[in-house]
Amino acid sequence: MDSGLAGKVVIVTGGSRGIGRAIVELFSAEGADVTFLFRESSAAAAEVVAAGRAAGRRITAEQVDVRDPQGCAAAVERVAERGGRIDVLVNNAGLVRDNLLGLLEDDDVRAVLDTNIGGVFNVTRAVVPHMIARRAGKIINVSSVAGEKGGRGQTNYAASKGAINAFTRALAVELAPRRITVNAVAPGVIETDMSQAIRDRAGEEVKSRILLRRFGTPIDVAYAIWFLASRYADYITGEVLHVDGGFKME
Amino acid sequence: MMPVEITKDEILAVYPKVAQTMADALGCDVEKVALNVPLIEGLDAESIDFLDIVFRLERAFKVKIPRGKIVEDAQGDLPDAEFERKGYLTEVGLERLRDYLSEVPADRFRLPMKVADIPRLFTPETFCKVVVRALRAVQGDDSRGRLSGDGSAEH
Repeated sequence: MDSGLAGKVVIVTGGSRGIGRAIVELFSAEGADVTFLFRESSAAAAEVVAAGRAAGRRITAEQVDVRDPQGCAAAVERVAERGGRIDVLVNNAGLVRDNLLGLLEDDDVRAVLDTNIGGVFNVTRAVVPHMIARRAGKIINVSSVAGEKGGRGQTNYAASKGAINAFTRALAVELAPRRITVNAVAPGVIETDMSQAIRDRAGEEVKSRILLRRFGTPIDVAYAIWFLASRYADYITGEVLHVDGGFKME
Repeated sequence: MMPVEITKDEILAVYPKVAQTMADALGCDVEKVALNVPLIEGLDAESIDFLDIVFRLERAFKVKIPRGKIVEDAQGDLPDAEFERKGYLTEVGLERLRDYLSEVPADRFRLPMKVADIPRLFTPETFCKVVVRALRAVQGDDSRGRLSGDGSAEH
């Protein structure tokens, strides 16, 4: 089963931990040349790079805050310079600051929207001209079940992820004539640091509402992204693929 | 300070590379990229192609061309409200645009004109001028440099 990912130049945002790290590891194991962006987890990023390189994989880390458009553009140019092109972009970087609407600080709203959807704009805008020029490319955005399913204390996060779904569909229309596909993966509750609080607070109750009765793992999500980035998904665009164990259905 | 006028020689110096770049972006024969052909109506360019053309020109000439630069430069120091109203060019705005896009036949400038329709006026010569200005900017402060045959800048 040749995924077609060997030798591809891939950018993954938020790649030092959780789902992003699983994506970086899976893609690099397939022979892709992966650069991941990270904001502050320098030690974790160094560990991902060191482990990958020890296994003979091509992994590079770039420290960039996806909220910074110039920083994103510069990082993307460096990747294009090194790899000669950009084949795949995975917009994964995101953060969560849950609270009831009335208790959210301005910064909780701003940081979540600026990172989760603003970051998608910043990195994608820098990458798209490279893909248009080659008439090829795959963009996969990491959304969330929260983008469609209501969740208490998640107005900021849900708004950002719903925006990603809308962004995905709109950009798919825009870029289809240039043979670039744009899709999203919407994870449910995944066993990562980011979901630790909700799993601690209401883990069993949440699990009882997941059809498969378990939380997802980062690799569950990474496989779905691998599929959308592979040649097996060449005819799929504008889709939001849920990887949530049936959580959305409940 | 009035911008230094762009000469025909400067335009012709960059034109071959601009034409080839546009042909690559639009997937057409370079012979079709005449200096004065309207890109949208004459070469079937779409708005997304302008993004591609600018991206390729930046690489071909090693210059930076900010997005929206043509309209921004045409507007110059004219306040937004005097340049356009509700998405349509004002009479003064149209005059500014006509002066700036001097390569475009005067009869193509007619009110009402939507700001969004300005790219319909663009020709390869429009982009040759953009490149010449960008090359001058690289050389510093819009001072006029001498352009060699392949469009690279010399002093």
